[in-house]
Amino acid sequence: MSALLEVRDVVHAFGGVRAVDGATLDVEAGSITGLIGPNGAGKSTLFNCISGFLRPQSGSVLLEGKRIEKSAPHRIAQDGLVRTFQTPHALTRMTVLENVMLAAPRNGGERLGRGLAPSARRRERAVRARAHELLELVTLDAHADALAGTLSGGQRKLLDLVRALMVEPRILLLDEPMAGVSPTLRVELLGHVLALRDRDGVTLLIVEHDLDFVMRASDRVIVMNDGQVIAQGAPDEVRADERVVDAYLGARHEVA
Amino acid sequence: MNALASGGFWAFVGVVAGIYTIFALGLQLQFGFAGLLNFGQVAFMAIGAYTMAILVVKEGWSTWLAAPLGVAAAGAAGLLLGIPALRLRADFFAIVTIAFSEIVRYVATNENGLTGGSQGTIALGKVGTAAQYNGEWVRFQARVQGWLGVSSKDVAMLVIVWTVAVVLLTLVWLAVRTPWGRVLRAIREDEDATASLGKNVLAYKLQALAIGSALAGVAGCFYAWQFSFFSPDDFAPLLTFFAWMIVLIGGLGRVWSVPVGALVFGFLFAGTRFLDFPPLSYLSGADRAYVRLIVIGLVIIGLVLARPQGILGKRDEMVLE
Repeated sequence: MSALLEVRDVVHAFGGVRAVDGATLDVEAGSITGLIGPNGAGKSTLFNCISGFLRPQSGSVLLEGKRIEKSAPHRIAQDGLVRTFQTPHALTRMTVLENVMLAAPRNGGERLGRGLAPSARRRERAVRARAHELLELVTLDAHADALAGTLSGGQRKLLDLVRALMVEPRILLLDEPMAGVSPTLRVELLGHVLALRDRDGVTLLIVEHDLDFVMRASDRVIVMNDGQVIAQGAPDEVRADERVVDAYLGARHEVA
Repeated sequence: MNALASGGFWAFVGVVAGIYTIFALGLQLQFGFAGLLNFGQVAFMAIGAYTMAILVVKEGWSTWLAAPLGVAAAGAAGLLLGIPALRLRADFFAIVTIAFSEIVRYVATNENGLTGGSQGTIALGKVGTAAQYNGEWVRFQARVQGWLGVSSKDVAMLVIVWTVAVVLLTLVWLAVRTPWGRVLRAIREDEDATASLGKNVLAYKLQALAIGSALAGVAGCFYAWQFSFFSPDDFAPLLTFFAWMIVLIGGLGRVWSVPVGALVFGFLFAGTRFLDFPPLSYLSGADRAYVRLIVIGLVIIGLVLARPQGILGKRDEMVLE
């Protein structure tokens, strides 16, 4: 296995706060990697640095060996790295189907004046069929023609997921996919995530606070604290690591 | 003669509504579809009108060449403004656009050599002569009048303006129904999500801004031809807000709501001219002009309260966050 995504010494500070302070990590192709850490550890900032929404002040990000830390978000997505957001970003005044169809790559009709060309219409029909397939997969197809704003929070999470899949990513970054999702939907979501790796060969990097989910789904777990990677390894190794326990429960400190 | 009963007057109102339709269509594309808060739409109208008039008077160009160039200049101005300004957040972008429209107006007022200054287009030519830029247009309008066999040149203008308006409406309507339009609406809903799905948000915003500006340029040419004379004061910020009212009255995110909004607004604006019954008739004409604006404001407030989505808008889209 080789590293599909390499993060090297990435630093990003907001004013004086170094949210990401020299983070280095690898994500192996075909793996599910869990990224955990207490609130404020810098996970979401690191996600933004990787996906191009923030430009790291130093350090580099490599996707299949190609540097992407200065690329715009849409370029990175086109290169095959797609991210979701912590809070679902449904396009509320568009239909559920439109949300998914929008995400299709290589859509000639998205160029001004090309939408009515026969090739663009053919592509659009294929995109529509694929979008229905994906919606069926997460049992949202019954809502295909509803406005996305009418979906529940959990349904919006699923919509975000299939919309990201529509881009045909090689690596998918999920930012807290379980947050605000009901227990029954969690089981379903876990199934989808595992299937993505096993069936579709998609690599996943997942930020998640639900440790049970992370430990069950991940091949490797990376732990961040104070903007740095403090531990990484197989789920069981990480669970036993004292530094991880300290980061989550607070380091032993002397009582005055 | 009672103006209310005069066909010519209502044809004139219809012409102005047609010009407003083209003008507001640009704003509908920018705001209703792409979510761009453009408060400076009038600047592009001014650029279109001035470019056309200056090329005809000073350079001796044919109107048929000068007008497309005026439209192109308006579109290019949108592009040039957008490249730096669209990197700003929506509210800052809005402030830049209104500042830009005032800059254009002040330049037009003060660059006497280029624009004729505050005297307007009449001072475009040599000193002591009254410059005219619409000779060719007047001849064309007369020919159309002959073809149509109508007695009023206003009716000929009405047909010309609305033909162009319907063609432009149809083109925009076709464009927004394609995947291109879907990307624009996605940007309106959520830029970050759209970028995360591999769409070049800035490129699409620039396209919407430039096309909308070019449409304002078309409206500017018709405005210039209709009135045979204009000055910088014709392009005050108020005109931009007329376009906003039209778009809001008609309904956001709909192409065919624009002519509906423009007609309602146009006839409201013209109709309030006849509020000369008591007690309003006790006011002087100048005071009544302000009462008109108040009445229009009240009607629009009433409409927004009763039908916040506009005449053709969709209510279920309004209630979503």
